[in-house]
Amino acid sequence: MSAHGLSGPRVRLDRLPRRRRVNTTMEALAWLAAAIGVGILGVMVWSIASKGWSALNLDLLTKPPIPFSLTNAPQGLSNAFAGTLVIVALATAMALPVGILVAVYLNEFAPPSIRSSVGLVIDVLAGVPAIVVGIFVFVLLVVGSGQSAIKGAFALAILMLPFVARTTMEVLALVPNSLREASLGLGVAHWRTTLSIVLPRAAGGIVTGTVLAVARVAGETAPLLFTSSIAGTQTSWNPTHALQTIPVAIFELSESPDPKDHARAWAAGFILLLFILLASLTARWLSARRTRI
Amino acid sequence: MRFGDVLLQLVAGAAALGATVLVGLIVWKLVDGSRLALSKYGLGFVTHVAWNPVAGHEVYGAGSFLFGTIVTSFFALLIATPVAIGIALFLTELAPRTIRAPVTALVETLAAVPSVLVGLWGILVLGPVLRADVEPWLHSALGWIPLFGPPSSSGASVFTAIVVLAIMILPIVSSISRELFLGVPPELKEGALALGTTRWEMVRGVVLPYSRGGVAAALILGLGRAMGEAIAVTQVIGGGVFIHWNLFSTGDTLGSKIASSYQGASTQLQAASLIYLGLVLLVLSLVANIAAQVIVRRVARKHGVTRGGHA
Amino acid sequence: MPRFGTSIRIASAVAAAAALAVVVAGTAGASTQKRSNATITGAGSTFVAPLVSQWISPVAGAYGIELQYSAIGSGGGVAAITARTVDFGASDAPLTPDQFSACKGCEQIPWALGATAIMYNLPGVKNLLHMDGPTLAKIFMGQIVKWNDPAIVKLNKGVSLPSTAITIAHRSDNSGTTYNLTDYLSSVSPAWSSQLGRGVAVNWPAGVGAKGSSGVAGVVSSTAGAIGYADVAYSVQSHLKYFALENRSGKFTTPGSRGILSAASSDQKPAADNSLSIVNPPKKYDNAYPISTFTYVIVPLQSSKASDLKHFLFWAVTKGQTGQYTAKLRFVPLPKSVLVVAEKAIAKIHS
Repeated sequence: MSAHGLSGPRVRLDRLPRRRRVNTTMEALAWLAAAIGVGILGVMVWSIASKGWSALNLDLLTKPPIPFSLTNAPQGLSNAFAGTLVIVALATAMALPVGILVAVYLNEFAPPSIRSSVGLVIDVLAGVPAIVVGIFVFVLLVVGSGQSAIKGAFALAILMLPFVARTTMEVLALVPNSLREASLGLGVAHWRTTLSIVLPRAAGGIVTGTVLAVARVAGETAPLLFTSSIAGTQTSWNPTHALQTIPVAIFELSESPDPKDHARAWAAGFILLLFILLASLTARWLSARRTRI
Repeated sequence: MRFGDVLLQLVAGAAALGATVLVGLIVWKLVDGSRLALSKYGLGFVTHVAWNPVAGHEVYGAGSFLFGTIVTSFFALLIATPVAIGIALFLTELAPRTIRAPVTALVETLAAVPSVLVGLWGILVLGPVLRADVEPWLHSALGWIPLFGPPSSSGASVFTAIVVLAIMILPIVSSISRELFLGVPPELKEGALALGTTRWEMVRGVVLPYSRGGVAAALILGLGRAMGEAIAVTQVIGGGVFIHWNLFSTGDTLGSKIASSYQGASTQLQAASLIYLGLVLLVLSLVANIAAQVIVRRVARKHGVTRGGHA
Repeated sequence: MPRFGTSIRIASAVAAAAALAVVVAGTAGASTQKRSNATITGAGSTFVAPLVSQWISPVAGAYGIELQYSAIGSGGGVAAITARTVDFGASDAPLTPDQFSACKGCEQIPWALGATAIMYNLPGVKNLLHMDGPTLAKIFMGQIVKWNDPAIVKLNKGVSLPSTAITIAHRSDNSGTTYNLTDYLSSVSPAWSSQLGRGVAVNWPAGVGAKGSSGVAGVVSSTAGAIGYADVAYSVQSHLKYFALENRSGKFTTPGSRGILSAASSDQKPAADNSLSIVNPPKKYDNAYPISTFTYVIVPLQSSKASDLKHFLFWAVTKGQTGQYTAKLRFVPLPKSVLVVAEKAIAKIHS
């Protein structure tokens, strides 16, 4: 016991009934805590689903918004759905290769001291608040030249990078060294070993990490406020323009006085949440599948 | 060394260098952008309580927003910690095997809800409930404490922001704690139980002390997350500029102020001051993050665990 | 989890594919409506946003120009056009000399005329309660806190006012509407003028901050006892009640076309920078609504999109002012003298 610096539990082995009562109380509190945790989630998801239900129709996906509409013409958020697809896809395209390269360098080439210090920096990068990343990209890229979906994607890519790099590092470390040694022993170059043997072996884990990173940034609002918020109402797939996104649309609709705007915000939020949950479930299932093999 | 090796190492090394440099670049760009305010106000800006944009009387300071950030994050952590640790203990010690996995998944799903949705829920569902029922009750029961002054009239208050933040950091603290508790060597726990301790005494005497360092890191990470949250907070906090002790009044935090004002800064000085706010926030988050990471690494070394996955 | 493996995988794949297909099909359908060959982006005033939104489809129809406008507040509009992140900005507050020089070769052009309504939420109480300037200033300074305060009761004899607390909703972002209101409050209350002043944002001593005119309207409609300010179009849209304000001649006027036109006639000659001031007009304009204002578009004199900008702006100050766009939103067509100045200014834009 002393190896771990613990002195052991201090108990009076007599006073049993009182100790049992304390124990029961504590167990009840733990059950309560779990109930609260699950309950809050349930309440939130229930609110989102039930309030968004009335606006959950095909119009939401196919019709553009009509701001300050004085009629009851059907409207939706088609521009936001298209914009989110474009920006998240671009962000993934930016973050994935860089994240893999960083992990490859740290795991396959770097000496342990660099691996731990750069690893620390990457973990610290993961903790930079999204709004700070937003200001950073704004000051770096937007001032003087305008917003665009690409710049928004760049901001999201910065948020994704630490996730992709960290999970790729972990799966690369899981690839048995015997594989590498066998390949090198056969005369295969180090670079070819990495690209053709190690990486494909780690592919499943990389996909999992990417899916989780996508789930994380699909709902991010703050960085997009500064980089892709002055957007048109018509659906556009052009990444050189600022495109509306689902989180920014929800943010704007949430402060409106119109209950119909709220309903659309709930409905879009429901779809967004569904997508994120599906992505997380998929990642979890993929990683469970991997460890079973 | 073949050419391919050199090339791969160069390219991958460049990526790693870029990632490392990124943090420094963020700090530098923020310092650069806030230069005007830095030179005009210096470090006094950080604690000065003022934000007057009227032309001719312009003066800016981070004081009230720093206060707001600290108060909201601290109280959110205060509320979330017992619940999070309770959940973690429940999942590791008490839960029947069949519900262990689903409940774990459910609690982690809470982390997946985007902040703008939590904020939407906060404005339209939580805020009105707090304003109508919870705040008046707290005021009547505990009104002698200055924290629980007259209830808010619109649901937008520091208190609503605290509850929203607590909900958002709950899953992080809970899942890290759960992994820590799972890592306690079973022989230690069984040894205590064999001596006749109750389960709670075993937790108090073995599990919690063993995971002390890791839980501290989890709390600090949760604190950092709460301090950096801007969107959900700005939706529910009401944008007040002055410092009030009453939790039911409106307030503002560093992130929330930036989110609500940055796009429309009317003068260069105001823009620079807003970036200065971002710099203060960045420094706070970096300190919290680095502290948490250092503790995590130290704890891992002490317990002989190789660095595995963590949130 | 392993038990559900295959079915979850199939379900997820099908759901994802279906969702993607719907989105692509739907949005592809939506975007084939009007393939425009030019895009003009603008940002700024939430005050004029309802009117600009009405202009989007007629402008696309007339010139094939896709107009994108983002209502981020007048302060945001000025910042955006100064940084040239948009093609035009919109602000209800005229630019200061510092802002003109920062903008480097911009001009401001009056392009709409409207009024700021003071909205309130009092269930069971009638619309168009009476209010005067000094009392309004005291309310916004947090000195009058209940609806049945003697000062308010005095103005509304015969109306039974509840003892509900007054919740102030003000702007948290830099707003031309705030400038308009504080301009008015500074002219009717010396205390306001010395303690708070006039600006796109002030140090509000009390109340809840909300983003944009929509945000203020949102707080007012969800909070009983709330009072807020925004362009009258927002009250109309959200079915919110608003005050009839006492003007300098003693009449209680409303933010409708008569009140706004009368106020506008008090300043017919734009200044050198094209700005006009029609807040709290002298008492000979006895029908004037005292918180009326022109609102401006800020454009760079030299722009790569000069020709499209000119088409859009000429349309906006002429056809865009007709009743079909302005009447329901309580905007009033630009007076002739102002229109002439506006057109001259638009003609100066070159590439």
